[in-house]
Amino acid sequence: MPAQEEPPGPLQPTTHVNPLGLMEDDKPVLPGVNVRAATPERLVHLCVTSFGENGDIKDEGEFPNVLFLMHKWFMTSVELAEAFLDLYQSSDETVVCPKPSCSHLPSQRQCELQIYKAKICYAVRYWICKFPVHFDLDGKLSAVIKQFGSLVQREGNSSFKELIDLSKVPSYDWMRSISVRNPSMRHNRKVSLVFNHLEPDELADHLTFLEFKAFRRINFTDFKNYAMTASLKDNPKLERSIALFNGLSQWIQCMVLSKTTPQQRADVIVKFVNVAKKLRLQQNFNTLMAVVGGLTHSALARLAKTTTCIPGETQKTLMEYTELLSSNNNFSNYRKVFHQCVGFKIPILGVHLKDLILLHTALPDKVEGNLINFRKMAQLFLILRELTKLQAHDSIPGLFANMDLINTLRLSLDMHYTEDEIYELSLAREPRNSLSSPSTPTKLVVFAEWVAGISPPDPNTINKHVHDMVEAVFKNYDGDRDGFISHAEFEAIAGNFPFIDSFCVLDADQDGMISKAEMKTYFIRANCHALRSSFKHDFHEITYFKPTFCIHCTGLLWGLIKQGWKCKDCGINAHKHCKDLVVMECRSKANASCNRRLDSVSSNGSGSQDLSYSTKRKMSQRQKRSRVHRGTQTEESYFLPPAQSEMNGEYGEYYEGLHERLLKAEESQTSHEEVQLVIS
Amino acid sequence: MSKAKTQQPAVIHKVIMVGSGGVGKSALTLQFMYEEFVEDYEPTKADSYRKKVVLDGEEVQIDILDTAGQEDYAAIRDNYFRSGEGFLCVFSITEQESFQATSEFREQILRVKNDDNIPFLLVGNKADLEEKRQVTAEEAQHRAQQWNVPYVETSAKTNANVDKVFYDLMREIRSRKMDASKQNNGKKIKKKDSKRKKCTIL
Ligand SMILES: Nc1nc2c(ncn2[C@@H]2O[C@H](COP(=O)(O)OP(=O)(O)O)[C@@H](O)[C@H]2O)c(=O)[nH]1
Ligand SMILES: [Mg+2]
Ligand SMILES: [Zn+2]
Ligand SMILES: [Zn+2]
Ligand SMILES: [Zn+2]
Repeated sequence: MPAQEEPPGPLQPTTHVNPLGLMEDDKPVLPGVNVRAATPERLVHLCVTSFGENGDIKDEGEFPNVLFLMHKWFMTSVELAEAFLDLYQSSDETVVCPKPSCSHLPSQRQCELQIYKAKICYAVRYWICKFPVHFDLDGKLSAVIKQFGSLVQREGNSSFKELIDLSKVPSYDWMRSISVRNPSMRHNRKVSLVFNHLEPDELADHLTFLEFKAFRRINFTDFKNYAMTASLKDNPKLERSIALFNGLSQWIQCMVLSKTTPQQRADVIVKFVNVAKKLRLQQNFNTLMAVVGGLTHSALARLAKTTTCIPGETQKTLMEYTELLSSNNNFSNYRKVFHQCVGFKIPILGVHLKDLILLHTALPDKVEGNLINFRKMAQLFLILRELTKLQAHDSIPGLFANMDLINTLRLSLDMHYTEDEIYELSLAREPRNSLSSPSTPTKLVVFAEWVAGISPPDPNTINKHVHDMVEAVFKNYDGDRDGFISHAEFEAIAGNFPFIDSFCVLDADQDGMISKAEMKTYFIRANCHALRSSFKHDFHEITYFKPTFCIHCTGLLWGLIKQGWKCKDCGINAHKHCKDLVVMECRSKANASCNRRLDSVSSNGSGSQDLSYSTKRKMSQRQKRSRVHRGTQTEESYFLPPAQSEMNGEYGEYYEGLHERLLKAEESQTSHEEVQLVIS
Repeated sequence: MSKAKTQQPAVIHKVIMVGSGGVGKSALTLQFMYEEFVEDYEPTKADSYRKKVVLDGEEVQIDILDTAGQEDYAAIRDNYFRSGEGFLCVFSITEQESFQATSEFREQILRVKNDDNIPFLLVGNKADLEEKRQVTAEEAQHRAQQWNVPYVETSAKTNANVDKVFYDLMREIRSRKMDASKQNNGKKIKKKDSKRKKCTIL
């Protein structure tokens, strides 16, 4: 950047106001941009004179680039085109050709007037070729250019006409396609959609894909409007990019906080630090910022027990990235590294938005009455040129995207929590002072409380994301393509959505399987505020006489008496410190048997069914389903009766699931034991 | 504006501007940093939010973080707040909503800093627009008393009290730093501990 290391100069640069409606700049921001402020007409003239007789820009001056990229800041493209047209028309009077024997007709190659006219056409051609997107889908602008063309034609300048013929200009169709052209995964390699099975590199690749897609859609007008209003109102593309950023940051926090033991939480953190490493290699600084921001957020940074489980090397890496992305010295570390990076890179959008906003706040668009502050335009240009250049990459090097994973991730990142909710959850996981009893959060943790100050993505976007994700899940997990997924399949997917409801909430018709429609309905509803109120349970403290497990963390309700809390209405059980975190809806007693986790544990008997009853019920459901499944080789054989022997397989699967859950519960006992010991 | 990079003063006081959009955070920052010489402003430079000032005879540097453009990145606001040593919590006296929002900012800052005595000023900006006033000086003063912080009214337009809020805040930061070092001289072990916890600075 020029003038970066300049010695301190005079504070107020001397300016020369000139009767031609122009102020010169003695400290140009860019080569060839020697004007500090001027009228639009003057700017257009200066642009024309930047071109040489051969049609090239003289001395590689940046003036035309600044004018063409920035003009929308202060005038419309139609106005700019008309200014060129006016200049052409008036040049017969304003340009004086001194050559005595000249007829000033198009045939005279050396005529000063004709040379000037040619330069006007070179300038317009340059605009069309370098900024084709301005002309795309702008009918009015194309009309002015056509009008210009016919004027030139009428004068007999057919060679000029060729220059500005829109149809002769290289195709700009590619600008229309905003999709990132990355090939799908080679050989259709199977990717897991489940967080626990995903490699950090894979996760990073897909996050970068999403990020770049959101980034490159943001256009000049979006940047301009944000710089001017500092508001996301009517700016859906930028809003989407920011929502992705916030969503990722929060998803990371929730993925960590959804784990019950410090070691498990540390493992998730390590995984995301590895994701960060890959993002750094990809030079995707925006996603890196979101990941590191999530990992160092105070909701996680305060977890002392978790921190002790993170390997020193991981902590060091995280510290390095924190340093790299630090706001210190106006993000100087980031800025330095970012400028050194070559090739594909994604900037921390927020930093560059900040520069735009502050330039706009600091400097007026017009000076001396009506002169365009062109120095400001040159400064804005430096930022916007960089951003637009980075958007122009049409693929991400070395990256293969799996659309099913993209769709699943995208929805995972749509889920919003408030800062308060996440913080409460953090307090519940590791209470402030481990010597006092665990503090009980006062608020429920649920989906879909939109981040303060950000309006929720519009319902259509959400619906589309839900649709795509559910299709992706079914494509990959509904092995027999019957349009249903089972418990086990659901459990796997649920890992990507911390605090997702248990199986039976999604299984609305309680047939033991989740249909596409059920899953869609659930996720669309999960994104509504309305959900919050329906979770309310009526918990009271209770003594259990049989081992009972917590609905929230699946841990054992430990102790001899008053081990936990039970909902009077639906019968679910939870730890004292878990009960306010339960995200399962309260259902009436009549429906209680549908509760999967309740099925597997028995309580003191009141308000819930015994194990054998519910097991039988589940079995008969499975049996029914099994009949349909096994018969579904072809449409015709759909109703064929099942073979008797298949029953055993169903038993086996069910008990294995239960066993696993018990193991998991035992595992987490240790942590509860710790809490208990500290309390007593 | 001090551009010379020769020998930086040892002490840097880090100030963060918080408050709703449009209340004048950037205007106050620019007014303090550049006054009428804002034409030279280059927002991408490392020292464009740093200024050498003389605070009660001692040369120090102030580093101002204007969160412009970061307001919508709500998920990492927390990380920005962590790097601040003092906060100017700004609202516009012409906009009641912006005054209400100060409570949320205060709450989040206290949570992040985990310190009820963090240097903090409640600033009612746009005091030049008296005819459009929606927040009375009394109610603002009342809130400031509850929080045990000073309340000052400013105008970035007329430059009223602009220097004052920055200097008052720097004095608070300085006295907090002095208290902390006195305490630490007594308990060496604790100092080590608190240093380690402070190293996240995003
Ligand atoms: N009358 C008046 N207008 C102000 C004052 N401070 C800021 N403004 C105007 O309020 C608007 C928002 O200011 P800005 O600094 O961008 O607010 P920010 O979003 O908090 O950074 C701008 O149009 C400023 O010119 C002030 O003290 N008095
Ligand atoms: Mg601002
Ligand atoms: Zn001639
Ligand atoms: Zn529990
Ligand atoms: Zn209930």
